[in-house]
Amino acid sequence: MSTLSGAFLPTLVRREHASLAATLLAPPIALAAATVVNLGLYVLMGRDPVAVVYAMLLEPFLSWASFSEVLLKTGPLLLIAQGLAIGFRAKVFNIGAEGQFILGAIFASAIPVWFPQATGQWIWPAMLLLGTLGGALWASLTAFWRVRLNANEILVSLMLSLVAAQFLNYLLLGPWKDPDGFNFPQSVMFQYDAMVPILISGTRVNVSLLLTIALSIAAWIFMQRSFIGYKLQVGGLAPRAASYAGFNEGWAIWLSLLIGGCAAGLAGAAEVAGPLGQLQRSISTGYGYAAIIVAYLGGLHPIGIVVSALCMAVLYIGGDNAMVSASLPIAAVRVFQGSLLLAYLVAVAFVRYRLEWRRAACRSQP
Amino acid sequence: MLNNLTRRTLMKGIAAAGLTSVLGGRAAMAADEPLGITLVIPSPVGDVGWGHALAAGLDPVKAAYGDKVKVTVIENIPEGPDADRIMNKTVSDGNNFLIAGSFGYQNGALQIARRNPAVTVLHASGFQVAPNFSPFAAKYFQGTYLLGMAAAALSKTGKLGSVSAFAIPELITSINAFTLGAQAVNPDVEVSVVWVNSWFDPAKEQEAAKALMAQKCDVIFSNAQDTPSVISACEEAGVYAFNLNSSMKKYAPKTYLGCVATDWSPFFKASVDAHFAGTFKGANAFLGVSDTVVEVVDWNADIPADVMTRIKAIEAKIADGSFSPFTGPITKADGSEGVATGTTLPDGEIVAMDWHVKGVTTPLPK
Repeated sequence: MSTLSGAFLPTLVRREHASLAATLLAPPIALAAATVVNLGLYVLMGRDPVAVVYAMLLEPFLSWASFSEVLLKTGPLLLIAQGLAIGFRAKVFNIGAEGQFILGAIFASAIPVWFPQATGQWIWPAMLLLGTLGGALWASLTAFWRVRLNANEILVSLMLSLVAAQFLNYLLLGPWKDPDGFNFPQSVMFQYDAMVPILISGTRVNVSLLLTIALSIAAWIFMQRSFIGYKLQVGGLAPRAASYAGFNEGWAIWLSLLIGGCAAGLAGAAEVAGPLGQLQRSISTGYGYAAIIVAYLGGLHPIGIVVSALCMAVLYIGGDNAMVSASLPIAAVRVFQGSLLLAYLVAVAFVRYRLEWRRAACRSQP
Repeated sequence: MLNNLTRRTLMKGIAAAGLTSVLGGRAAMAADEPLGITLVIPSPVGDVGWGHALAAGLDPVKAAYGDKVKVTVIENIPEGPDADRIMNKTVSDGNNFLIAGSFGYQNGALQIARRNPAVTVLHASGFQVAPNFSPFAAKYFQGTYLLGMAAAALSKTGKLGSVSAFAIPELITSINAFTLGAQAVNPDVEVSVVWVNSWFDPAKEQEAAKALMAQKCDVIFSNAQDTPSVISACEEAGVYAFNLNSSMKKYAPKTYLGCVATDWSPFFKASVDAHFAGTFKGANAFLGVSDTVVEVVDWNADIPADVMTRIKAIEAKIADGSFSPFTGPITKADGSEGVATGTTLPDGEIVAMDWHVKGVTTPLPK
């Protein structure tokens, strides 16, 4: 492709240094660009652009009730993304957080499904623990296949998510179906003690948010300050250097996947024991996949991920608001969310690269 | 059962309590503002199917009331915490008429009704009733009985099939009535069912239709599909097919057998009238041919004239209430007695039906 296209198209050249100002300005510029493009779209559709922007970007912050919903949505995204980012920095690509989330939800539900009459404040912590274990077990399948059989972890973890969804279906259509539920594929409603206590009264935000924040801090300490975290990062950046230094690759894969699985499993448990209160088919609206975007938007950095998880949650809640109050169709909401991500990725690319327009007919290609 | 329901409502109450109490204050509206009517559905509105029929049912309401009503349709909302939030949001925005268009919205919608006595809620396919909360469902079985008669007259193999979404009473009654109607024309007819366990999975639905055709089924009942997946696969194979809710004749001009169409507008209109008059009273709305909600349209011209005459006679008797498909003697698929000779199953038992009649060869999922 090189000679012909090189003559007419600009090429991307890596910058020597990415400037700090550009790095910080990239997200707001991306937001502004995406907003302007979409405003044009709303005008063409005959919607009131001011009402849409108000509903989508301002309303989530304007009342405590709606901001608490943003926090509720942030929880699982943040938790899963922190776990995934650790693996991604070690270049272990766990794409199957969705399946680990589902297994976490299933393991946690085992207690209220099997012991619906049980009472006591031990139930919800035990459910969260069990969920964490479930996520880790599901991720360990991928780790085993990768380390022992050298199977690609992207494919294995992704495929196992489909298996997890079918396993959930089986349970809900069979042994775990609510006997009084008119054959609908859902479990019994959980008893009161199987619900994580509400953190802020009057909202749906529960104690698991505190846990998520604590684990985010732990992720920061682990990645920036611990030797194990350092070894993982070296393994990702320079695998051969890592192996010369005696860092074991198989160990890094196991650790990365188990951390990701634990985090996703815990998020799944907190979701069924939190706002859902029941095991059902739609327990995850794609949290496991959205968290991959959150992790990368946050630059795989624990603090960046906190910001990006909040932003994604605002986009979700704001998108729903826009459908309710500005009667925007769902497709337009998705277009806005997609174009925002695209604009951000383009902006980030320009932070690291610049365009060069030159007639370089004989340049060698890498 | 009662215990279970109280526990459900209690816990959903805890989840939803704060949200509505914080937002509820703003719900009061000036009298001259239009009545906000919100319809929430789990699938896209589309050109055909369940969601389309519900949305179309609001058109006559719009036509009758003009500026006095403002209709918003919110599509593609999964049953779960998102739906609860969105329904709360629309009510707190001052929309006082809510149509919750799927069974899974039941708990959240019921809470809204309890906490906002000024709001009228209609809920699809449920069983809970409150003073301002009406569950509604269609007597599809009245139409599927008639199409069963046509199917048996056209079938050469004596084998009929049904691609069905979930094994819930509403769909089971449709299959049973279809089978009984077919047996009224040909007593030896057999019906096979494939449960796809999804409201919306066109690829899987087509697979299911092809599997039935491979078993020599030559008339197929597309039971609760929101796309012409089954209908168009049957047209391609030259096999007769029919569906529920809205006509799909344009997707199968040759082999389209007919449509058990639902027109929700009489019910919606009456409910909105009652809301304006302040006389709305929550009740179980189980609506059929005599309510002009269910009607079979687009009969295929291939149906023999003598059978068509019989069908029309039965249709008239269903409309004036002198005939019910579920009048004994009816034998269950396991050989035991379903309905005794001379008795007619009351509506209360039809809506909870969890057995197949003799002639349905596929066992119900347990």
